[in-house]
Amino acid sequence: MAEETLLNDDFLRQLINVGEVDIVVGLSTHNHARTIGPVIAAIQAGILKCFPRERVAIINADGGSQDGTTELVERASIDDVWRESKVFALRTLHSISVRYDRTPDPGKALQTILAATDLLRAKTCVLISPESTTIEPDWLQRLARPVYDENFDLVCPIYARQRSDGALMRNLLYPMTRSIYGCRIREPYGSEFAISGRLVTDFLAKGISNDDWGRMGPEIAVTVTAIVGKYRVCQAFLGAKAHPGRGTQDVVGVMRRTVGALFSSMDSNFGMWSVVSGSELPPTFGKPPEIEPEGSRINRKRLLDMFAAGVAQLEPVLRSILSPSMLGELQRIAALGINEFEYPAELWTRTVFEFVASYHKSIINRDHIIQALVPLYRGRSLTFLTENRNGNGENIETREEALCADFERLKPYLLKIWADGK
Amino acid sequence: MSLKLEAGWYKNAIIYQVHVRSFYDSNGDGIGDFAGLAQRLDYVQELGANAIWLMPFFPSPLRDDGYDISDYRSVHPSYGTLEDFKNFLSIAHGRGIRVIVEMVLNHTSDQHPWFQESRSSSDNPKRDWYVWSDTDSKYRATRIIFLDTEMSNWAWDPISKSYYWHRFFSHQPDLNYDNPAVREEMWNVMKFWLEMGVDGFRLDAVPYLIEREGTNCENLPETHAIIRELRKRVDEQFPGAMILAEANQWPADLRPYFGNGDEFHMAFHFPLMPRMFMGLRLEDRKPITEILQQTPEIPESCQWCLFLRNHDELTLEMVTDIERDYMYDIYAKDKVMRLNLGIRRRLAPLLDNDRRRVELMNGMLMSLPGTPIIYYGDEIGMGDNVYLGDRNGVRTPMQWSGGWNGGFSAADPERLYSPPILNPVYGYPAVNVLSQKRTAHSLLSWMQHIIEIRRSTPVFGSGSISFLHPANHRVLAYVRQLGKEIILIVNNLSSAAQSVELDLRRFKGNILIEMFGRNIFPRISEVPYLLTMGPYQFYWFRLRQI
Repeated sequence: MAEETLLNDDFLRQLINVGEVDIVVGLSTHNHARTIGPVIAAIQAGILKCFPRERVAIINADGGSQDGTTELVERASIDDVWRESKVFALRTLHSISVRYDRTPDPGKALQTILAATDLLRAKTCVLISPESTTIEPDWLQRLARPVYDENFDLVCPIYARQRSDGALMRNLLYPMTRSIYGCRIREPYGSEFAISGRLVTDFLAKGISNDDWGRMGPEIAVTVTAIVGKYRVCQAFLGAKAHPGRGTQDVVGVMRRTVGALFSSMDSNFGMWSVVSGSELPPTFGKPPEIEPEGSRINRKRLLDMFAAGVAQLEPVLRSILSPSMLGELQRIAALGINEFEYPAELWTRTVFEFVASYHKSIINRDHIIQALVPLYRGRSLTFLTENRNGNGENIETREEALCADFERLKPYLLKIWADGK
Repeated sequence: MSLKLEAGWYKNAIIYQVHVRSFYDSNGDGIGDFAGLAQRLDYVQELGANAIWLMPFFPSPLRDDGYDISDYRSVHPSYGTLEDFKNFLSIAHGRGIRVIVEMVLNHTSDQHPWFQESRSSSDNPKRDWYVWSDTDSKYRATRIIFLDTEMSNWAWDPISKSYYWHRFFSHQPDLNYDNPAVREEMWNVMKFWLEMGVDGFRLDAVPYLIEREGTNCENLPETHAIIRELRKRVDEQFPGAMILAEANQWPADLRPYFGNGDEFHMAFHFPLMPRMFMGLRLEDRKPITEILQQTPEIPESCQWCLFLRNHDELTLEMVTDIERDYMYDIYAKDKVMRLNLGIRRRLAPLLDNDRRRVELMNGMLMSLPGTPIIYYGDEIGMGDNVYLGDRNGVRTPMQWSGGWNGGFSAADPERLYSPPILNPVYGYPAVNVLSQKRTAHSLLSWMQHIIEIRRSTPVFGSGSISFLHPANHRVLAYVRQLGKEIILIVNNLSSAAQSVELDLRRFKGNILIEMFGRNIFPRISEVPYLLTMGPYQFYWFRLRQI
């Protein structure tokens, strides 16, 4: 059932005008005028090219933009007021915006889009990031077709990534999701994904958006809900991932929204994941796109310093989270020089699992636990970058598989400490 | 007997299109005739039509259903005699029904004596009445219209050992309008019928009269000059007579056929028709409003002719490739329903025999700017037979009753010019005039009612149109206005109930009177006017300042 309270009267009026649709394209924005132009153009082109006959609406949930973002979105509408230069479209395209709040809230934004999807009885909802400036019109088709034509419920993206990209995804979110929930979804926290109408309805009915993990990381919440609910999940290759905010990202905030949500999801789904062993590859559509390799400019020394400083400064906190042997091992590697430093896969896996267990037991404030994981993640990232510095795609893939194998192999350890004391 | 001279009568006409052959057989030979048509004019009058458009009834080998004429000054013996025609004309006029005759100017049958003479030798005086060439390479930029049957616009004539030009079937050679003798003779043909009392002509295939190298041989300035000359003669010698253009073109290309009010009085709006069907299935007004907004203004004395279906295929020449694919997939999934660039089906089967959709489409036909044409049988929801060749599936006998041959003819069924529709849904036992006349809520009764309302005001025929653009794209709303008379039309194109807010502030203070039930609706104020509408429902409101 839709969360009607999210929908103010003006938005509701707009939805009445949109009427029943086949596909909703959702955009969650906040001051994205700088990037939204090419994104909305690609979406419109994708609709006209790939879904010319379908009833499609673009729904923008905005968190109080002051830079004209919503006006840019609304301009993508195609109506019957004839202008000679306008693109050809078989039918009307509504592109509407709603301000759900004065401040951004990804959970509320997603909930608004999904509630609109539910009300409009759309068969498919495609979520697109307003920062995905590398988007191609075909992305829409790649994401939506498996749901629209083949009755999948969730289509997660696989981006073409540079060697140094996606450290958090590759070292934590992917292997963790895979080992816990038994599904090899490469991007459980994708900026783009497609979801079926029935999964939307279920997601809203369960009120997951109101749970801690649903509020924290709505995208992960959708993925976990789909897997736990045994919905049909698949993946689709997209192109290169855009990074408009690279270097300015708040790592702690990102980890709260992603890792925190993932950890949190495990509380209520223990019955499901505790009996899962191994993992399965979901159907994957398309083929990996090729991208030009870019040189990476990572300051490895700085990463090591941040790791070492974190281990030292957060020792009391880490002591409450980790086992003594684990802490000791981290202190040992923190003392290594840049050329000798290595944060091995197995050690990292055990570290993460001990954090998960502590998070579950709320040994200390959960936010602090995630915060304490940040410097350790930086240490693991350093090893990841060092290992992959000269590696090709195949080498990187092999290492990722090895890490995932560790996460799956050591899952009994997690189950043990989940139930035990520290 | 002639009807009173009335300039602009065609603007407020309701035209009923009929083929003599298909309407009623008075002598039991299996073929409809003028005596039969005359007998059934009471039906046309009761329906509310005040003009009849007759498809070609001239002597012809009938290889193209009469569009291949072999004698322009007579009646095909199967349909009766010239006297029968005159009698029919007199009765029609007596009932206030004007008669529009189809005139095929562009080409004749290859059996026409003119062509027989022309092909007999290059010295024959009629040689230059047709377009001959030693090669088939001239006018290469010209498209082929009947793609399914013709490979070229040139055909080899083994008798005269040269090629002749034909835009349609190869047995229909084009007349050479560069020859003044041809132009004069064709005017004499028109004069022959006008003097008899016919009220106008539907001129077939007018864009193709003239050929010029390096062009697509359509809509050429020389063609317009010929039309202007014809019109001048009509106005001078037969004031009040009307000429209607059959020119399947885009609106911008059609506009010149009105000239400055000195070419055609009327022209078919071909691009609108498929878009009405498209808008209905898309549940989106966009295709309809877009094409009407692209339609240029026409001179005050001129008029568009609107139709839903006719004797031809539902032509898809004036749509984009994407639109054509959509129309085929939606309306002609079975390939046997497709012909040339169109769909050979009648109205009711196209609309899945959904009464609400049939009514909505007729509602739009009657309320959009133009003169509506009703194709015989569509007023009772007749079906088609796509298994008959060419376009014969939509030219089956009129279904008058559930009796012998559907009341069309007393002949043995085997003698009928065409098998009648017999299937359980559309066959004459299920769909016929007699049964519908007995039911107040039949489609026929409903059609009579809407025509009556349409004819109750000149706004529909002569008024301006302005579109409202409500945010709900499933609702097509427009205002027709003539002087102080204002009518608001609101159509729900959707299969589901809709609510719509209309900005009617410019009519603030008016009350709305629904024209079918004459009920009063709330007064218009500053706030958006909210209407809720059932599936495929439409409203016609008369606005009154009381």
